[in-house]
Amino acid sequence: MNAVRQIVAVTIIGLRAIPQRLGASLVVIVGMAGVVAVTISILSMATGFMHTIRSSGRADRVIVLSRNAQYEFASSITRENALAIADAPGLGRAADGKPIVSAEALTAILVTKKSNGLDFYMVLRGIGPEGLALRPEIKLTRGRMFRPATHELIVGKSAQSEFEGLEVGDKVSLPDGDWTVTGSFESGGSGTESELLSDSETLLSGLRANAFKSMTVMLARPDDFERFKAALSTNPALVVDTLHETDYLANQAKQLNGFLTVVAYLVGGIMGLGALFGALNTLYSAVSTRSVEIATLRVFGFGAAAILTSVLAEALLLSLLGAAIGAFAAWAAFNGNLHSAGSLVFRLTVTPALMGEGIGLACGLGLLGGLLPALRAARVPVAVALRAS
Amino acid sequence: MKFLPLLWAGLWRKPTRTTLTLLSIVVAFILFGILSGIDAGFAQALEASRLDRLFTDPRFGAPMNISYADQIARVPGVAVVAPRRGMGGYYRDPKEGMGVIGIDERFFLLRPEITITKAQLATLRKTRTGAVVGVYLQNKYGWKVGDKIPLQTETPQVNGNKTWTFDIVGIVDDANYPGQAGWFLVNYAYLDEGSASGKGTIDRFLVRIKDADRAAQIGRQIDRLFANSAAPTRTSSEKSRSQAGLQFIGDVNIFTHAIVGAVFFMLLFVTGNTMLQSIRERVPEFAVLKTSGFTDNAVLWLVIAESLLLCLMAAVLGLVLAKVAIPITRPAIEDYVTLLQTGWADTLRGFGLALVVALISSLYPAWQVRRLSIVTALSRR
Repeated sequence: MNAVRQIVAVTIIGLRAIPQRLGASLVVIVGMAGVVAVTISILSMATGFMHTIRSSGRADRVIVLSRNAQYEFASSITRENALAIADAPGLGRAADGKPIVSAEALTAILVTKKSNGLDFYMVLRGIGPEGLALRPEIKLTRGRMFRPATHELIVGKSAQSEFEGLEVGDKVSLPDGDWTVTGSFESGGSGTESELLSDSETLLSGLRANAFKSMTVMLARPDDFERFKAALSTNPALVVDTLHETDYLANQAKQLNGFLTVVAYLVGGIMGLGALFGALNTLYSAVSTRSVEIATLRVFGFGAAAILTSVLAEALLLSLLGAAIGAFAAWAAFNGNLHSAGSLVFRLTVTPALMGEGIGLACGLGLLGGLLPALRAARVPVAVALRAS
Repeated sequence: MKFLPLLWAGLWRKPTRTTLTLLSIVVAFILFGILSGIDAGFAQALEASRLDRLFTDPRFGAPMNISYADQIARVPGVAVVAPRRGMGGYYRDPKEGMGVIGIDERFFLLRPEITITKAQLATLRKTRTGAVVGVYLQNKYGWKVGDKIPLQTETPQVNGNKTWTFDIVGIVDDANYPGQAGWFLVNYAYLDEGSASGKGTIDRFLVRIKDADRAAQIGRQIDRLFANSAAPTRTSSEKSRSQAGLQFIGDVNIFTHAIVGAVFFMLLFVTGNTMLQSIRERVPEFAVLKTSGFTDNAVLWLVIAESLLLCLMAAVLGLVLAKVAIPITRPAIEDYVTLLQTGWADTLRGFGLALVVALISSLYPAWQVRRLSIVTALSRR
């Protein structure tokens, strides 16, 4: 009990003197604020990007591609394939008993980004009759749904806001003429919001193509995956890969996510090292200016543990303050900002977890930077320190 | 120069503090060096893509006919047209995809950065199944001239076989990206005759134009030729394609510039604080210097010079360490951007930054020392 009282008393004495060492203390605060702000803001790109990718996937949805096709555009699913896949066991069924599957046709159309006038390819996805039952997250927000057998399509909200010529009523040019945008939809910020949707058969004939690109199905229960996959792989007529939608999407995003994470930890790590040196410096000088005070306290009977803790507490408090400022600045400046990689639109997301991670990192650095000076303080030789004055 | 020992002694008065300050600045310069490398890699990728090289691609994916080449060549302002047909495949590992490009000699006129010799070109022309591969693939798979390379593809041959075998007749490099050329170039004629389907189709025309300023106009003219055909085209310069392709990396890059700014702003605090503390402890010493005949301006310059010495030492150390760190970091991000080694321009900019940081952070302490009155300073004892 006595030890706790001592620690509290010495810590308060130390903290009260911080205004007198404002310059040096600012070094820690500004340093930690910088490290945390930078790391969080780069990671917020990765988090936002991965959030968009992940929210596009569902555990009970499965995508079927032709064998070894690494992405949808490289795949080809014939009509016979599509029928065989729809016959496989384990599929979810609509009220009328039809399997919830969608054989999809894909093409890319050119769109111009509003902010910089550059051209990007955007996916136009033709979905089957059950395509919307398969993706219940899609909600029409304006206009109306496209009608099959007509030149109509709907556009994702993100795509519409970032790219030109995608307002309701606008025309999109395809090989068989102009298609009209009849509505726009949102899907909880998922990747589909960066796409255009239309009817698959109509799109196939518009592209003068015969085969679909991929087939997405909904399982009755997520556990049915193995059964479904086994049925496809034992069917000699099918040469396909069967993947969880979540796995497929994560694989597509792996590279970009890896790049962002590497940059965040590389830059954050180097800056953290710099901040660590700054903290060490500040606390060493704090201990050095307080050596007489510390020696006096020791004479009064305060223990080494109390002194050590008080220095660590100062380090922690300054780091925490800096980290909180940095985390808040990153949140205020970047959270919710729209960003795009190619035509995929996502929002920078500064999550509480991310802020916690940043603050934790700074506290760790602060403690590390406080440890050596704290040890020195605890070992201040009383006589020498007092004689020096 | 004769003051160097004095500066040195002042600087290392408190070794711990100076070392820690030095290390903070060194770290900032390591970061500066690495980010400059990313910057340079980014700039290079944009520079290597040319404004006078246009790509004519299928607008909706339907492949174009080889006959387009003659029509494009007749558009005023077009110098050379090179058709190519690609085929996706892999060597042993399906996850390591590789692009095989069927070309003829015109391709090398469009891509002079490929270092192919006349002899290699002649051999390729003579060898129907010949392939010219980049040094990157050579190193990756240990290939050499004369090897027979079987590639698994999605393109069936006339006999239904999807495995194509090529004979390596030459290894080439890419002058823009030395050591990183991943080209796998084969004879278009062999690809076209050998394929079961898609006879006479082309997936890209490379177009060299005489006047880079007319890129947009010529592009529109080409696209108008095929607007009502079964395979409409989309033509734009390689440069604008790169800008679009690199847009996201560019955004990240702008971001890193802001980071460097923030880091050096933080440095002002670190060095400024160190200088201030150091000066405060040495007030009597400066008074003695003044007493022994140093002018006010001389002590001012002494303080500034001390700060300069610290920052420049740190800059040298940091930039050298960055040079060491760059090759180690490169593999982690090479899929996205090439991390280039820092050059003289970066070193100069680094020293410029060191100069600015040293000056700004020492200004206030130096000013204080300049104003110092001998009597008050010495009486403080």
